[in-house]
Amino acid sequence: MDRRDALMKMFSAKGVKVNTNRGEAYYSKLKETMQKRLNELRNAPAASKVDINKVLEAEGLTRRDFMKWASAACAAMMLPASFTPLMAEAAELMNRVPVIWIELQDCAGNSEAILRSDAPTIDELILETISLEFNETLMAAAGHQAEEHLDEAMKTFAGKYLCVVEGSIPLHMDGQYGTIGAKGETFEEHLLRVAGSSAAVVAVGTCATFGGVPAAAPNPTGAVGVQDIVKGKPIINIPACPANPANITGTILHFVLTGQVPELDHLNRPKFAFGYRIHDNCERRAHFDAGEFVEAWGDEGAENNWCLYKMGCKGPMTFNNCSVVRYNSGTNWPIGAGHGCIGCSEPQFWDKYAQERPMADTHFKAPTGGVEKTVDEFGLGLLTVAGIGIGIHAAISAAAGKKEEV
Amino acid sequence: MKPGYKKVERMTGFMRINHWVVAISMLAAVVTGLYIGHPYYQSLIADPAVDKYVMAWNRWVHLMVAIIFDVSSIVIAYLYFFSRFEKPYKKILPTGKNIKEFMAVIVNLLTFNRSKKFDSTHSDSFNTVYFLIFHAMLAWMLLTGLQLYVHGLESGHSSIGDWWPWMLHFVTDWTIAFTGGTNMDVRISHHTVMYSIITWVMFHIYYQVWRTIFWKEGDINIVFGGSKYVKEEK
Repeated sequence: MDRRDALMKMFSAKGVKVNTNRGEAYYSKLKETMQKRLNELRNAPAASKVDINKVLEAEGLTRRDFMKWASAACAAMMLPASFTPLMAEAAELMNRVPVIWIELQDCAGNSEAILRSDAPTIDELILETISLEFNETLMAAAGHQAEEHLDEAMKTFAGKYLCVVEGSIPLHMDGQYGTIGAKGETFEEHLLRVAGSSAAVVAVGTCATFGGVPAAAPNPTGAVGVQDIVKGKPIINIPACPANPANITGTILHFVLTGQVPELDHLNRPKFAFGYRIHDNCERRAHFDAGEFVEAWGDEGAENNWCLYKMGCKGPMTFNNCSVVRYNSGTNWPIGAGHGCIGCSEPQFWDKYAQERPMADTHFKAPTGGVEKTVDEFGLGLLTVAGIGIGIHAAISAAAGKKEEV
Repeated sequence: MKPGYKKVERMTGFMRINHWVVAISMLAAVVTGLYIGHPYYQSLIADPAVDKYVMAWNRWVHLMVAIIFDVSSIVIAYLYFFSRFEKPYKKILPTGKNIKEFMAVIVNLLTFNRSKKFDSTHSDSFNTVYFLIFHAMLAWMLLTGLQLYVHGLESGHSSIGDWWPWMLHFVTDWTIAFTGGTNMDVRISHHTVMYSIITWVMFHIYYQVWRTIFWKEGDINIVFGGSKYVKEEK
């Protein structure tokens, strides 16, 4: 490593920079690692009987569709095209990586986003083939039976399974805001237990990553994200509300391929998904630069697909790949549908991003108290106070001040 | 010149030019900055986008004056210590003499010039500390502004080389954690400090005019002609 690289590593490893070309040597080494890992997995017993090829066939998708998906997945994860066969192989071996998916304080929206689509994408189908050992939302078992099932899965796959977490963890009132199972385990205990013997923890959705909506002011339940609770385990955050299935699949695929977590940014988000800003790949960006803004819902500008900045779009402050990957098989995304970005993949998004107001009109906690104040209101108050002070001083100076004798 | 008065030089030509460059930059930064945060005029011009480019021009002006601002601040920071004219840092150090002068100037302001027990020939301790607050706020605007700016350089490249975004991250990433953990907090801070700076300017202009009227030493001329007048010791 030369001096510049060493300095960069020391000071900026957690910046947002995405290195999309790491050179021949890096990729051939990575390929070897992946090949070795996939061979190991192939020889391991399948944890689930579901076969991706059969699932695809049942959905009327061809091998060609699957390979198209594999090359797109390669591109999304910023790997060269030569990795496509490995990607396809990894998808076929997904059923060998056990996953325990726990559901904490949230709306189950991330599960819903994946499960409820009427024309599932290959990303979504692949998630169906993972060996889901335990999932409170989906499984038939309940009570002691479910507990037993969880214990067994944790014991069988100790140190090997991925712990996927959906939902925040309430801490107020000793965590009594959320308990689970026949023994009344709090969410915090539940999470610590399941994450404890996992290989890595994947926090899915903004609630699990940063507390999300439950953590919005005044945060009555004392909700926090997984990374505030679980220490000493690799944690991958996949925020957004809901998290994009493409990003969940990408992260799990990365784990299948390498046995490691992907490169993360300073908020522990995979860089392949959160390295770029919504704003910089937005189809309405030209209208932003031109100063052409939608001024009211349904106005002339809205009809012409102008920029939604003045309707409160937070794309310029939000890092995510929605503008590229989109949702529902790449059909559309919020800005495409005519609503601004609400910054759902950023921390504290509900309090600081998710309002239909321009950036400058965000309400914040002013030093004078209360959250319902814009910076301009606070600032004009400040100027008024200063103006009154100056006015008083000027008036007294004029009335009683002493001018020097000349 | 009135008999009994002597002329003292207080700002060199360069210092005065710098002062007005800063003043104009500030005005331009406020006008364009408010537009960037909340576009307050419409550009429903019946021309293609390439002709109007209103937001882009506002951002261009904002970034350009920011750079002029930054360069002038760096020059000022240098002059604090190495000026051959007056080294302001000498008036900032909390020495007994400086604290005494600082208090005497405040007393002068609060007694409406009924008490004036300090030497007003040179830049006093109170004014120097007041300018230091301004420069600290400017430095903060520089750091938060560059943090907001580097969001657009995700590729890690720039026209002047990869070192630039790298350096910006290195120097300004801490402002996210410092202001509250999100990009929006950095923006709120950048916006709020603008109002603090305007408040600062309000008092600054008032105080210089007030001094001119009540001290009768032509203080306002410092920033135009570079000098003021003081009574000669008898």
